[in-house]
Amino acid sequence: MKNFGRKITRRDFLKSAAAGAALTLVGKPVFSNAKDEYDLVVISGDPAPATRRALEAMGGISRFVKKGQRVVLKPNMSFPRPPESGCNTHPQVVATVAQACLEAGAQQVMVMDYTLSRPELCLERSGIRQACKPLKNVHVIGIEERKFFREIKIPQGKVLDHVEVLREVLESPVLISLPVTKSHSATGVSMGIKGLMGLIWDRKSFHDKYNINQALADLATVIKPQLTILDASRALVNGGPGGPGEVQKPNLIIAGVDPVAVDSYGVTVAPWYGQNFKGRQVEHLLVAHQRGLGKIDLDQLRIFKGKA
Amino acid sequence: MRTFVQAFSLILFSTLFIFTTYKLPDWLPADMYLRLDPLIGLSAILAGKEVIGRTLWFLMIIGTTLVIGRFFCGYFCPMGVTIDLGHYLLWRRNKISVLKSAESFRKAKFFLLFIFLGAALAGVSLTYLMDPLPLLTRFYTFILYPLVITLINLSIDLLRPIFHALGWVGLSHLHYAQPVFYMALITFLIFAGIITLNRLAPRFWCRYLCPLGALLSFISPLGLWKRRVSKECNECLKCQRDCPMGAVEEDPRRTRLPECIQCQTCAHVCPQGAITFPASISSAKALAGEKYGPGGEYSPVDFSRRGFLYSVSGGLTVAFLADRTPFTPLKEKRQLIRPPGALPETNFLKVCIRCGECMKSCPTNTLQPCLWESGLPGLWTPRMDLRFAACEQECNVCGKVCPTQAIRSLPLEEKTHAKVGTAVLLKEMCLVWAQDKLCLICDEICPYNAIVFRTVEGYRRPFVIASRCNGCGFCEQKCPIHGESAIIVVPSGEIRLKEGSYVKEAKKLELEFKPDPGDDKFILEESGLKVEGDKKEGEKLLPQEKPKPSKPKGFL
Repeated sequence: MKNFGRKITRRDFLKSAAAGAALTLVGKPVFSNAKDEYDLVVISGDPAPATRRALEAMGGISRFVKKGQRVVLKPNMSFPRPPESGCNTHPQVVATVAQACLEAGAQQVMVMDYTLSRPELCLERSGIRQACKPLKNVHVIGIEERKFFREIKIPQGKVLDHVEVLREVLESPVLISLPVTKSHSATGVSMGIKGLMGLIWDRKSFHDKYNINQALADLATVIKPQLTILDASRALVNGGPGGPGEVQKPNLIIAGVDPVAVDSYGVTVAPWYGQNFKGRQVEHLLVAHQRGLGKIDLDQLRIFKGKA
Repeated sequence: MRTFVQAFSLILFSTLFIFTTYKLPDWLPADMYLRLDPLIGLSAILAGKEVIGRTLWFLMIIGTTLVIGRFFCGYFCPMGVTIDLGHYLLWRRNKISVLKSAESFRKAKFFLLFIFLGAALAGVSLTYLMDPLPLLTRFYTFILYPLVITLINLSIDLLRPIFHALGWVGLSHLHYAQPVFYMALITFLIFAGIITLNRLAPRFWCRYLCPLGALLSFISPLGLWKRRVSKECNECLKCQRDCPMGAVEEDPRRTRLPECIQCQTCAHVCPQGAITFPASISSAKALAGEKYGPGGEYSPVDFSRRGFLYSVSGGLTVAFLADRTPFTPLKEKRQLIRPPGALPETNFLKVCIRCGECMKSCPTNTLQPCLWESGLPGLWTPRMDLRFAACEQECNVCGKVCPTQAIRSLPLEEKTHAKVGTAVLLKEMCLVWAQDKLCLICDEICPYNAIVFRTVEGYRRPFVIASRCNGCGFCEQKCPIHGESAIIVVPSGEIRLKEGSYVKEAKKLELEFKPDPGDDKFILEESGLKVEGDKKEGEKLLPQEKPKPSKPKGFL
């Protein structure tokens, strides 16, 4: 989220946004690194060790987090339900990533979400606050006030031309998205891209005003997590996003810098509503792909598979 | 010593109030003060014609009053403390202007007491209007609590740039949800009136109006310690001027014993040291106002049998009139959603003491006080404003803190089954039904999968399955259309039990508030159902023929 530092002019912003978009179009990740031979890392195992292994396979968290930086982690903790309900990110995934950020020298790690129910209830029942409690300089924060958001323009927006984004996300250099795999009764599935809606103020209009699939792609052009770690330890295969519903256990952690690719893989880990789908069949992912926000076809991806 | 005890009592009261949240541990009686209030207990029991276990705590106050007199008012009553504090802050410099002519007005509180008890006897609860403890709790809930939260948030907002600069992330994102309530202004005006009256005389409220004090003064003369004046008295009348209750008569040797709150101010101010409070075993003599040796002349309760009869019959009349309106026969049919576990409406209105504890404790702020929605007998009773906020399903605090159990204290499982109403879809307003929009918020937010999508006219549209809806109201609250929600919870189907298990009752009615993942398969099925008003029909009309496979919303 470098682009949104306070002192950046609109021109600078447009330039860098265009550059970013161009890079994604070309298909070259922004960071080049020896370990960067894979587009996706898929690790099976228990949430904590699998997350750790996935970070290693991605070349270590220090690829994304530099010393002294503020980091925003965006899990899904929107519902006041326990981990086994499958509607929130597993607390161990969040805690593991937060810990890794600290080890890489992060000054502060903010675990943030604009929750659907009262924040204190969500933070408590999701188990995420508890899991992060022993970690110093890690703050788990639920937001429900407009004053914590700031409006930005969406230069490439098709249906949205501006949006109010969580201020902290705009001001912090690193955003890591930690979605959970779950079904969603409007968008089919809800993972990384759909999870971005937890960082904006007015999400109601996505449902009653705009085409939600187009609006999500618009949003993905301005909120770009440097890393997405998809928690597929459990998959709420129906009844999503809030549940209750059937929870399957793919027991996977999927990591990547390309948010569309990560989500696209996530679509294949479980049958949704009793049917198998591909990323291309999920409208908002397809739209995002067509808008040049990432790769969608798994056969074109270099995937590292491992066990923890 | 007295100031110390009073301060302690007010702090205890406030602390218990602060603890009245959804996190309340089971062992902590946050409603302790209200449980201890004999007048509330008595009138709830009289009105409900049933003994309420929790209110029997008041026997402790009765017992102690029998031993040490009317200490409750002088030391314990948080309203008394507030009044003393208000007096100290506002009018301590004013010349004390005791209403000399108002002595006969003291009777007012007895009249009020028996009007309330008479009304309670007739089944209409009115005590809450003037009992000091519900009054003060209401003031705390509807005014003080929102005000304090506002002030805290304001100060945090002011300091936020500093927190931000210092990198105190937690503090720089701190914000407390602002509670808001209907009826706040009315509650405030009443409270402000009570405080202002004390300008006329110290503890005006306690002397002339408080029905709880009136109740206690009937038994307080039996207490062990009584004011006694020795021969040293030179009739300087300092005690008479300083007595906060005006319990010293024209002749300073005489005491209005029922009015004495054992504060011993008179003993402290007496220049002659002539006043003592020796312990002596009381007998009926004290009540009859007989002489108790030299310097121990006491007046009895200043209330005649005639006054008693007048006020009781007055109370009965008020109750009769309050209850004989179209509200009464309509009670069960009113469009009010009561908190889960609330007694059947008739009992509920009788037993609820309008203290506002439930509304304070509610984590979502959905519980709001009624004004006239259920008539005079329903003033300040809690109702759920589900458009404003929903009922948090993993919370059962409102029953836990209810001092008269007008809302039953239920375990979570039971509370979940205490259905408060049923959601109804207003199709002509619904974005999906009326405008073919891609909205699903009600389904997304429903904790029980009570909303399912079925294909009607080539489009997937939401339906409510009544047997799965317990009326929590998330759908009504989150419905994105402006104004009135397109899905509203109506009281129809509510379960309100005086006793017994809600789970059993719900089972009997074939309701199920449990996750059932099978339901979303409807998204995949072309049901081709005709839209019908009768939801129960709809449930049974699950398509038997093989569903044509299609794709859920969002998939291509």
